[in-house]
Amino acid sequence: MKEFTESRLALGSGELWDLGTYAEFLDAIGDGSLPEDAFHRWLVQDYLFVKGFAAFASLTVAKTPRPAQSLLIAGLSALDDELDWFEAYAEAKSLDLGAEFHPACQRYVDFLIAAGFSQPFQVLLAILYGVEVAYTVAWGRLEAQGPYAEFISRWTHEDFQTYVRALLRIADEHLHPGQQEMFDQVMRHERDFWQMTWES
Amino acid sequence: MSGEPLHVTLWRENRALAEECLAHPFVRGLGDGRLDPETFKEYVAQDAFFLRAFFSAYALAGVRAVERLEVAQRLHGLMRGVLDELKLHEGYAESLAIDLESVRPHRAARAYTDFLLRTAWTAEVGEIMAAMTPCMRLYAHLGQELAAGDHSQNPYREWIETYSSEEFEALATELESLLDELAHNTRGVSFAYRYAMRCELDFFSASLAEGF
Repeated sequence: MKEFTESRLALGSGELWDLGTYAEFLDAIGDGSLPEDAFHRWLVQDYLFVKGFAAFASLTVAKTPRPAQSLLIAGLSALDDELDWFEAYAEAKSLDLGAEFHPACQRYVDFLIAAGFSQPFQVLLAILYGVEVAYTVAWGRLEAQGPYAEFISRWTHEDFQTYVRALLRIADEHLHPGQQEMFDQVMRHERDFWQMTWES
Repeated sequence: MSGEPLHVTLWRENRALAEECLAHPFVRGLGDGRLDPETFKEYVAQDAFFLRAFFSAYALAGVRAVERLEVAQRLHGLMRGVLDELKLHEGYAESLAIDLESVRPHRAARAYTDFLLRTAWTAEVGEIMAAMTPCMRLYAHLGQELAAGDHSQNPYREWIETYSSEEFEALATELESLLDELAHNTRGVSFAYRYAMRCELDFFSASLAEGF
């Protein structure tokens, strides 16, 4: 994880990096104390988020030149698998995926889609990397144990980290002065997203 | 209430939020002239940032309406209204020494502009109108309510006069008539209207309690 925590964008974001990648919510998953219904509420919002994120990733694919585009297309396909997994899990547990957006989730998705249409591809690469790295680092701080072991393993998988490492490389290969500000915005939204479930 | 124009229905359904805005300490401070001038300066800067996104949303709606040039033309008139409104802000910027070019938008301003632009890029034109109407109708309402009292000595007189003017009322009415023409009372339309009204309230709160 060192390559992520010591990357240019993480260091540049200062305290926002820690705020976006540590959360009481995650601690409660790590020690197994989070009630299942709270976890499910978060999961439904995470599904709504991933749907919006897939739309954002598509906009990024559309704007990014080759050869960097290949990696993004592969990432989009992985997001599709992720959505399938959410839908199967929700059906097995009778979760309502048609639930309303929580305001924190709504703000995050609005941010992604508005940026997807209006920002240059280099900035979109930094946002895409920010979303994925926050996820992998935050979950990566947990041991795969307890009632949520299955989920922790799923989101700390080595293949996922390899993908995030490749995203970092292409974001670094396409520098742009607007990258840091938008990466910082991602960390703010990550912080709010983790807090969303914890506070309700 | 069948036959009622959509803008009347949506305003009525969200009236409580609009009255919450009117009763908000920020708006009360504008009305009685006791709002901290520094708070007002910051608000003007944030509002100028917001208006640029609002202008873009009209432009993007215009792109959707290009098959109906009459609609596009009316949107064009509303865009001119935003440019005039920005002149008020530029006037403030000059007299109060506010730098409008390097605004750091607060969270509420970002959330509102992200919502507007996401809607403007992805939704049908009717839903875009629903996301934009609360801003115009609310400000006309606030302006007219505040103007009802004696404001001749109020330092924020110009603000009150702008938003209570006949010209501003005409812009709000024009947008509402586009809403009636182009939108149906769908879940998306009603959500967009309510969410925008909620963003207005949050914007006033953020202007008082600055939180990046």
